[in-house]
Formats: sequence, structure tokens, C-alpha cells
Amino acid sequence: MDLSAATPATGIWRRLEGGGLWLAVFAFLLLAAMLAGICMGRLSIAPAAVLDIIMTQWWPGGSHDWTKLQESIVVLVRAPRIVIAALSGIGMAMAGAALQGLFRNPLVSPDILGITAGAAFGGALAILLGGSGMVLIGLAFALGIAALVLVGLLSRVDGRSDTMTVVLAGIVVGAMFTAFVSLVQFVADPDSTLPAIVGWLMGSFAATTWTRVAIATPPILIGILGLLMLRFRVNILSLGEDEAQSFGISVQRERWIIFLLSTLIAGGVVSVAGIVGWVGLVIPHAARLLVGPDHRILIPAAGLLGGAYLVMIDTVARNATAAEIPLGVLTAAIGAPVFAILLRRVYVSGIRA
Amino acid sequence: MTFQASARIALSAACIFAGAAGAAHADPLTVTDVTGREIKLEKPAERIIVLPVPWASTVVAMDGGTDKLVAMHPEAKLAMEEGILGTFFPGTKNIPTDIIAGGESRGFIPNVEAIAALRPDLVIQWGGRKDDVVTPLTNAGITTAAIVYGKEDLARKNMTLIGTAMGRTDKLDMLLKWRDDTTKAIGEKLAGLTPAEKPKVAYFFYTTPDFQAEGEGSYMGWEIDLAGGTNVSTGLDGGWGTVSIEQIVAWDPDVILLGSFEPGLSVNRIYDDPVLSQTKAAKAKRVYKVPVGGARWEPASQESPLGWMWLAQILHPDRVDFDIRGQIVEMYQKIYGQQPTPAQIDAILHLPMNSSGANYGQFAAK
Repeated sequence: MDLSAATPATGIWRRLEGGGLWLAVFAFLLLAAMLAGICMGRLSIAPAAVLDIIMTQWWPGGSHDWTKLQESIVVLVRAPRIVIAALSGIGMAMAGAALQGLFRNPLVSPDILGITAGAAFGGALAILLGGSGMVLIGLAFALGIAALVLVGLLSRVDGRSDTMTVVLAGIVVGAMFTAFVSLVQFVADPDSTLPAIVGWLMGSFAATTWTRVAIATPPILIGILGLLMLRFRVNILSLGEDEAQSFGISVQRERWIIFLLSTLIAGGVVSVAGIVGWVGLVIPHAARLLVGPDHRILIPAAGLLGGAYLVMIDTVARNATAAEIPLGVLTAAIGAPVFAILLRRVYVSGIRA
Repeated sequence: MTFQASARIALSAACIFAGAAGAAHADPLTVTDVTGREIKLEKPAERIIVLPVPWASTVVAMDGGTDKLVAMHPEAKLAMEEGILGTFFPGTKNIPTDIIAGGESRGFIPNVEAIAALRPDLVIQWGGRKDDVVTPLTNAGITTAAIVYGKEDLARKNMTLIGTAMGRTDKLDMLLKWRDDTTKAIGEKLAGLTPAEKPKVAYFFYTTPDFQAEGEGSYMGWEIDLAGGTNVSTGLDGGWGTVSIEQIVAWDPDVILLGSFEPGLSVNRIYDDPVLSQTKAAKAKRVYKVPVGGARWEPASQESPLGWMWLAQILHPDRVDFDIRGQIVEMYQKIYGQQPTPAQIDAILHLPMNSSGANYGQFAAK
């Protein structure tokens, strides 16, 4: 259905045009961040050589003015990292934007449904049991889904669940899985598995390989595409239950589809990178301040901005010092002040107007 | 300085020298730990509890048996059972470990009541976060000495503390002299080494999920320097941290050492990695896993000189030619009163796995 028919066309279209411009700006930002990211690293490789290496992957030829080691670094180390950082950023920000609309609550992010905590427990458990790679990703993902199912069961009363019960159930399930994570840390071996669990929980793309990208991409991509396709529906759902019902859509079903898509994204991200906080909360706000609340523009805008943001953060994490800086530290340390400035500006201008 | 204080110092010094006579004596003794605290003992400690992991094996070494080790950290027990001490002293498996409050992951927070119930003469505790871990013990009236990790000077102070408190300064002096002699011997063999001849060494104590390296101030960094190498991760902020594969490639180490802590870690972690297999170290087959004897060879312990010799020989096979196997046999006899079999020595040196490395044949049984 076409929402624009239901609202005064002029306002929406003006916004869409403005939004389109922002989309182009954010897309450019994402591309620029990815290009800059792949050219930068602890091993210095001339940007020209980097671009040449990338081109050669598809069109053999070129000057071949590089070593095999440099090629491995660009193709096997930097490229998968940037791809997964971009995908994670896009996914988390889009999921955050959709959930904030759905709950009509600006403090919602994928964390609130208990998904992140569930996936974190799965990953921590895998490390405790000595698993890595597929086992870690599989368990993180499975428990992320399990958390969502639990939230669904808990919040379902008489065949339906309202947003408030879902949020409460999410907080309960999240607290439960957070306690399980602490329990795992409690019994973990302090000399071996504990540092590994703590490091993983802080979030890092340091161990990214193409195999991991291949495992994490399908769920994240399905989530992203699904949310893009449903972004009209988020507009309607964000009107509130009764009004949405009056548009003739099944609120319950639509809502759970969006939860499931968000879980796919969050589970995929957590399983490869640990907990990457803040992106799902802050980026949707930043995007909303710039493009407005129309989810048809907001969801893709938040996605592009989130991707650019996370790629930039990861580039800093990789380059700033010899030791990797945990992503979770950077996303919060850079995200919080930026968020504060944005909020101040909006409120100050709102008060003065 | 008050008269009392100087008298105390004189007394403790006297005790250290008196102990050199060898036999355990029943006179009271005073020892000073690395935090400068004085610990008074009525007689040499006979019931000792050790929390900082590597030092439990030092108590076993000083005594030549496990009788005086009343309890230890669960991780220390694991290391002993994994290593050769569990085989040398089957009684190891009966030593209790439930002395940590709040589970192993809480590190060194003591379960004061469990410790008190074991009636220790002396508790050796990690002194890094004193108020959390040492004070609860001293408040309960339990005699406690603190140990702090660091480079060789601290390692010697820690050993001196344990040896003196146990009244085994004879063993202590032998172990300290061995450290001096080995340091000197390595120094002589490496005399005139130019900076260009020092291989770049990368040591990772963990590789999963990420590589963990140690920087300035670590014991391993000190050992690499002693053995005539350059620690690539010296500049690491905060002592240690996660390093990316790209950073390892940027360092391009000549030798890669894998720590003994990570269960199941093999040198194939490097050889099978599509990127790391292209580093100088991997191409020259100079990737080795650090041995585990009565103690792990990379953190400071009574067996450190074996670790130094092993490392110097790995880094400079053309200059250094210790008889490591002979040294193991000789020193294990002196330290633990035990005779390791050739198969046990092979296991200590990770011989089946490390033999894929360059020049590792020098450690095989002749």
C-alpha cells in the first residue's frame, strides 16, 4: 500500500526530496569510509597499490607493483573486516531505527529485546566449552533466537502481546541472559578462557576472515533487506496499535516479523564481533535529526550512516595503536559525546523557537 | 630510622644468613615481602597456601615435594597436573583448591574462612590489589606475604621470600646461583652481538579468538632481551593487548613463540594461516611452542634458567649450545629429587610438535 496517499502529499514529497539528498550524502560517506579504511592499516601499503590489488581481483592485469603479502593483507585481512563492519553498522542502525519506530520509544535498540544478551551468552558459553569459529557463531546465533522466542512466549497474553509487555519481557530475558554471561565468566578459567570471553564481549572485528563473513552475512543481509521492504509498514505501526489496525494490517504479525528480522541482524553481528553497542541506539537518532521521522527515508538513512560510522570506528580501532582498541569502548566513547551534542542542539533550538 | 626498625632489619638479614646453614631451625624468623611488609614466623613455615599461580610450584621446588603445600589456586593445580610435577608427586591431586572466593574468575579474592580452616603458617598472596586480596587475610590474623609479578629482580625477591620463609636458604642459594651462572653463560656466548644480529621475536600468550602480545615490563620481554632477541611488541600500550594479524605482518618477526597457556594450541596456528604463513618466521620455519616442565617456562619460576637457555638456543643456534636435556636431568634431580625419562623430556620440550621448526633437532635425544 502507498502511505503517501493517506497524508498530505506536499509535505511528504518535500521531505522525500530532502531525504533523497541525505541518502546520497550518507551513501557517499559510507563509500568514502570504506575506501579510506581499506587504504589504511598498520602495514603501510600505498593507496594506489591497494586500489590496484582490489581491481586485479576482478580484472587481472594492472601493474602488479606489490608483494603477495601485501595482497594477502588487503584481500584477506582488511577487506573482510571492512565488509563485516559496514554490514554490521548498517544492520544494527536499521534494526534500531525500526524498533524505535515500532515501540514509539527513543530508548529502544536491539539490546532491549534481550537478543544481544542471549547471543552474548551463547558466545561466552562456546568459548567456555573450548569452541571457536562455527561453534561460537552457531551458539551465539541460536541463543539470540532463543531469547526472542522466550520474549514472545512471556509477553503473549490471549494470543496477542502489546508493546509494553514486549519491552518488559525483553528486559527480563535480557537480565536473565546477562546473569548467565556473568555465571559463565564466574566459572571460566581466569588464565585462559576468561580473557578470551571478556575480549570477545567487548566487541572486535580483529579476527574477521572471509569464512566468518560468509557465515554472518546471510542473516544480516536477510534482516537488512527485510527491513528495507517493510519500511512502509514501520510508518504505519509507529502510529500506534489501533490506528495501524484501522489501516487493515495485522499488527501482531507485522510486529513479530520486524522483531525476527532484528534478531537475525543482531545475532549475526554479535556472533562475529561480540557486543557492538551504541550503533543501534545513537545512529537512528542522528539520522532522524537529519532526515526526519519518515521511516521510508529514515531506515535506509540510518543504515548508511551506521555503516559509515562503524567502518570509521573500526579503522580507528585498527590504526590508533599497535594493540587493538575494543570496539565497544570506541563506539561509546565517540558515540556518547556526538549524541549529546546532537541532542543539545535539537533541544536548544526547540526551546528558542 | 628508629632503633626498633634497624634492629628488625638486622634480625631479618641475620635470619637470611643463618638460614644458609641449611637445616630447618626452630628459631623465630622475619621475612620482608616485595611490598616492604615484614612477616614474623615462629618457625620455618610448614603449612603454606599459595594463591599466585606459578609460585605454588616454587614451594614444591624449595621443599623437593608437595608436603608443605596445603592448598593452591585451581589454575596452579591444573598446570602441575598438566606438567611433570603431577607425575613426580602423585599426591598433587589431593591438594585442595577451594580457597578462592567467588570462583576462579575472581582471581585472587581469598575465601578467608576456607583458608583459616586449613591452619596455614603462611599464605602467599598476590599483592597487586592489596586492599581486596591481602587485607582480608591479615585482618583475620592469618600470616600473609605478598608477591608482585614483574621482571627478574622481582622474581628473585619472590623466590627469596618463599625460600627464606621455608627455612630452605640452601635450596634458594643454589637456585639463585644457577640464575646468575646461566645469565652469565648466556651473556658470554652472546658477547659482541650487534643489534642487527638480534632476531625480531613475537610472543603470543593467546591466539584465540585474537592474538595477545606482551609489551614493556613483561617477564617474557625481559627474557627475549636476555636471550639476544628484540621483542617486537615492546611498544604495546598498557603492558599487553590484542594485536591484529596486520600488525603482526607489519612487525614481520623472525621468530614466533606461542605460549603454553592456551590448551591445544599448535604451531600450525601460524603455518595454516593464509596470511601469517607468509611472515619471515613461518617461511623460515621458526615458530615454536614454549615448553612446560615443573612450571611453565615463560613466566618467572624456579625453572626460568631452562627457559632462557632454550630461548637463547632457538634465537642463536650458531652461538649457543647448551645441553638442555642434560640440564633438565641435572637440575630436576637437584630441585625435585626426581629423574625424568627421555620420553618425559620430549614432552616437556614439545618435541613432536616443535620438531617441524628450524634447528629443533638440537633438542632431540642423542
